[in-house]
Amino acid sequence: MKMDLMSGYKGVVGLLVGNENSSNEDRYVERLLDRISNGKLPEDRRNAITELQAVVSESQAFQLAFGAMGFPIMLSVLKEERDDVEMVRGVLETLVSALTPINHSKGASNEVHPALMNTDLLSREADCISLLLSLLEEDDFYVRYYTLQLLTALLTNSPQRLQEAILTIPRGITRLMDMLMDREVIRNEALLLLTHLTREAEEIQKIVVFEGAFEKIFSIIREEGNSDGGVVVQDCLELLNNLLRSNASNQVLLRETVGLDSLILILKLRGSSFTFNQQKTINLLSALETIKLLLKGGSESDPGKDMNKQTNKTTLVQKKILDHLLILGVESQWVPVPVRCAAMRCIGDLIAGDSKNRDLLASKVLGEEPHVEPALNSILRILLRTSSMQEFIAADYIFKSFCEKNADGQSMLASTLIPQPYSMNHAFLEEDVNMSFGSMLLHSLTLGENGDLETCCRAASVLSHMLKDHLQCKERVLRIEIEAAPMQSLGAPEPLMHRMVKYLAVASSMKFHDGKSSTSGNSYVQAIILKLLITWLADCPSAVHCFLDARPHLTYLLELVSNSSETVCIRGFAAVVLGECVIYNKSTDRGKDAFAIVDTISQKIGLSSYFLKFDEMQKSSIFSSLESSLTHRSFARSSAASMADIEDVDGNDLSEKKNLDHPILSSILDSNFMNLVKSLEADIREQIVEVYSRPKMKVAVVPAELEQRSGESDAEYIKRLKVFVEKQCSEIQDLVLRNASMAEDLAKTGSTLQPEQRVSGGSDRVPIETLHRDLQEASQRLEMLKAEKAKVESEAIMYRNLAGKTEADLRSLSDAYNSLEQSNLLLENEVKALKREGHSTFPDVDAIKAEAREEAQKESEGELNDLLVCLGQEQSKVERLSARLLELGEDVDILLEGIGDDAGAAEDGEDEEDDE
Amino acid sequence: MSYAYLFKYIIIGDTGVGKSCLLLQFTDKRFQPVHDLTIGVEFGARMITIDNKPIKLQIWDTAGQESFRSITRSYYRGAAGALLVYDITRRETFNHLASWLEDARQHANANMTIMLIGNKCDLAHRRAVSTEEGEQFAKEHGLIFMEASAKTAQNVEEAFIKTAATIYKKIQDGVFDVSNESYGIKVGYGGIPGPSGGRDGPSASAGGCCS
Repeated sequence: MKMDLMSGYKGVVGLLVGNENSSNEDRYVERLLDRISNGKLPEDRRNAITELQAVVSESQAFQLAFGAMGFPIMLSVLKEERDDVEMVRGVLETLVSALTPINHSKGASNEVHPALMNTDLLSREADCISLLLSLLEEDDFYVRYYTLQLLTALLTNSPQRLQEAILTIPRGITRLMDMLMDREVIRNEALLLLTHLTREAEEIQKIVVFEGAFEKIFSIIREEGNSDGGVVVQDCLELLNNLLRSNASNQVLLRETVGLDSLILILKLRGSSFTFNQQKTINLLSALETIKLLLKGGSESDPGKDMNKQTNKTTLVQKKILDHLLILGVESQWVPVPVRCAAMRCIGDLIAGDSKNRDLLASKVLGEEPHVEPALNSILRILLRTSSMQEFIAADYIFKSFCEKNADGQSMLASTLIPQPYSMNHAFLEEDVNMSFGSMLLHSLTLGENGDLETCCRAASVLSHMLKDHLQCKERVLRIEIEAAPMQSLGAPEPLMHRMVKYLAVASSMKFHDGKSSTSGNSYVQAIILKLLITWLADCPSAVHCFLDARPHLTYLLELVSNSSETVCIRGFAAVVLGECVIYNKSTDRGKDAFAIVDTISQKIGLSSYFLKFDEMQKSSIFSSLESSLTHRSFARSSAASMADIEDVDGNDLSEKKNLDHPILSSILDSNFMNLVKSLEADIREQIVEVYSRPKMKVAVVPAELEQRSGESDAEYIKRLKVFVEKQCSEIQDLVLRNASMAEDLAKTGSTLQPEQRVSGGSDRVPIETLHRDLQEASQRLEMLKAEKAKVESEAIMYRNLAGKTEADLRSLSDAYNSLEQSNLLLENEVKALKREGHSTFPDVDAIKAEAREEAQKESEGELNDLLVCLGQEQSKVERLSARLLELGEDVDILLEGIGDDAGAAEDGEDEEDDE
Repeated sequence: MSYAYLFKYIIIGDTGVGKSCLLLQFTDKRFQPVHDLTIGVEFGARMITIDNKPIKLQIWDTAGQESFRSITRSYYRGAAGALLVYDITRRETFNHLASWLEDARQHANANMTIMLIGNKCDLAHRRAVSTEEGEQFAKEHGLIFMEASAKTAQNVEEAFIKTAATIYKKIQDGVFDVSNESYGIKVGYGGIPGPSGGRDGPSASAGGCCS
């Protein structure tokens, strides 16, 4: 029968995009619903449910029709037919079908989504959630299964409502948690539901943990074989991460009561199987994410954040996390790149700002005797030689974390930088584990000579970490000189810094040789070398001195700043280096001092266009994208998608930022560095203005000196004055020159401005001042208005609340009144009814009275008769006795005289009564 | 991390009576005069020893504000012990005890051990509730009673430990089915499973699996 109907409707369903036949579906669904709610035979109702389920799962039109009227009926069946497992099951299955999207191949995107709509409708049904949660306690497997599916569907589409509902239902979460101990299918479904549920809501996260989530999660993970387990392990870890993300309270609980052993166990690579299928890779990545979350601590706003974070770190280190991370990130050659990167980033987090952990890392030795080497050397080797950009960035992060605010560590690394003779430098094997950190680094730095700028710039990045904020290291490295290659042995060995500038130039020139293809490829090489220079020169006059030692450096930098084919970022960085040459310049040599540099800048570039480079850089995407990359994403569950996910970790998040700068820049140019650049820029501006506004006078004008001194001859006096005037004259010439270049600069800037602005010129001052005043006044007024607005708003809110309260009061009053009226009505009715009843009883009373009277009468009559009979008998007795007495000769009348009175009186009374 | 038993506690009572400070004093042995309002619940843990057995206390400190009641109620059922706190300098916090108790009776399991704590007993000069009144209330409702001060740490340790001792005694007396975790009690390594209790040493069927 069902099949017949189905085939009958298939044709209609096929047509159903324009909805012109919707009434057919409506009618059909209506009929079925009617049978379900009003049917007499359970069998018939069940059949109707089965039919309904079939059509609803088949087409969107039926989903719509069902959604429009079905929910109240279905829910009432769930409430009232709880014992009929089959019916409950059918209803739940129908609801699941109504909430499951049906893929229409030709479905347009702006079409209504019945499944979504139905979810919303269902979630609005009162008590729906508590009803569903109570169904989780049913014994029937399918009832629990479908219920979980329904809850998941509700959660996906209206999470807020479900979360709130679940929080208000006592034991709601307990029931869900119990499902984790249920049969496998249910357990897995419950895992997904809980994962959804805990994604945002912190309070739910805590309750779930209160209900023992950690123990359950880890026991499932253990059962499934830790990282070797299937997708369930991934689900468990995602739930775990949801519970720990920015939730200090839960982190404390995990650490203090459940412990971290189970977590560490997941990271352990066991046995001889070194195969990493994609699931294992994802599992490991998820577990590393857990470590990362613990290392990050609670939410930003938590005042005890740092302490909690520190305790997490300490506990993790006690559990030998570093060894596991080193195995995953550095030692094991079978581990896929994404896992290695994640492990290295965790190492970076672990040592960041923690001197103990940094020392621990520095002391670690990897490999087996005799081929052991310090872990830091291994990491450097990975950094220099990996083919994956992400791996380089991850390794670089370790060195950054290691060097930041770690002067001892920086010195330790820098102390190994010992230049080797050229021949030796090129003779060693790269694989040699005995090579020192410094020689590996120096070797790579000089590889730029052979055109390997990539390796060279990676080494430069490490070097910049080592030099950051560490004057001794900067000066130490300044003294390093590199021997020139034999064939070009024209000159003496040159300083390492000069080599770096040279490679910078090579990088830019290579770019032009290669044409467009590698434009972005080399811009990060330049940026990283520039970063090294900026870090190096900062606060270090001797570095500035060394840099300016070679005259071409300045010229090259000036070219770089104004080279329009370079990226905004490169030009900006070059401008920063130039600026550093001004502010950290302690040189007194004419031509190399700060004044000379400023003059050169203003002559060659023009000060305003020089400053423009800073503005452009500030506005560029590198600066703006600094804060944005913090969103977390979870791994896709479908295996097809997830492999792409992993493979694409390289540049996945980065590729979206489509600009001229290389994506790697946003990782290497971290916020610390960018802040340095920002603060430098401010200093540079200030310093340059300083140089111009208060030029250092070589000739001090002291009035006293102009007077003739006592004992000074006129000739001497004139000579002295002449020298003085000569000096002043040359200084005036200098100033005139500077003034000319400034005027030129001004003219250039002016030409880019609006013509009328230029014309008005100085006469503008007065209107400007009035305008300024106006502006101030206006802004004051604005402030006042704002304050007023806020006040009014808060008042409005208050009144709204008040109104709401009053309304509620009114409502409750009117409710009360209504109920009073109702009860009044009820009472009245009752009274009426009573009255009516009262009327009908009165005649009865009369009747009863009459009856009673009758009866009484009858009774008294009977008695009277008896008496009369008695009397009659007595009379006849008397008559007979008197006749006998007469016979005996007695005078009867005299004998009866006394008695007659009495008898007569009695007889009289009886007569009277009889009359009545 | 090994323990014989794990007990779950909740701390309840009006806002501002010093629940969070009691917890902080107990877990960290420090006092924080200005404490942020607790949002929802916060967690703390500590190990104690009773009858020579290590016992882990998991303590959930709840927000006292009315608006969080529906959230905090979720924690009642699974708790083995509750510290019901009032402030001896604020009469109204004592007056509200009955409503808290009613809440607890309604949502918690019947065997939950409740300790009544009159906090801030260091502020004797501002006392608004006498010790006798506290004792009387506790007696009437079958609670254990103590006055304490989170500031001076007076009786703080004792309050938590005495509650634990009471729960421990109940276990020994077989009041709980300790294999059922919904009472807020868990058997760890070296624990004595089952309501029979009283025997020493770990049992083969010790259910706890956490360390």
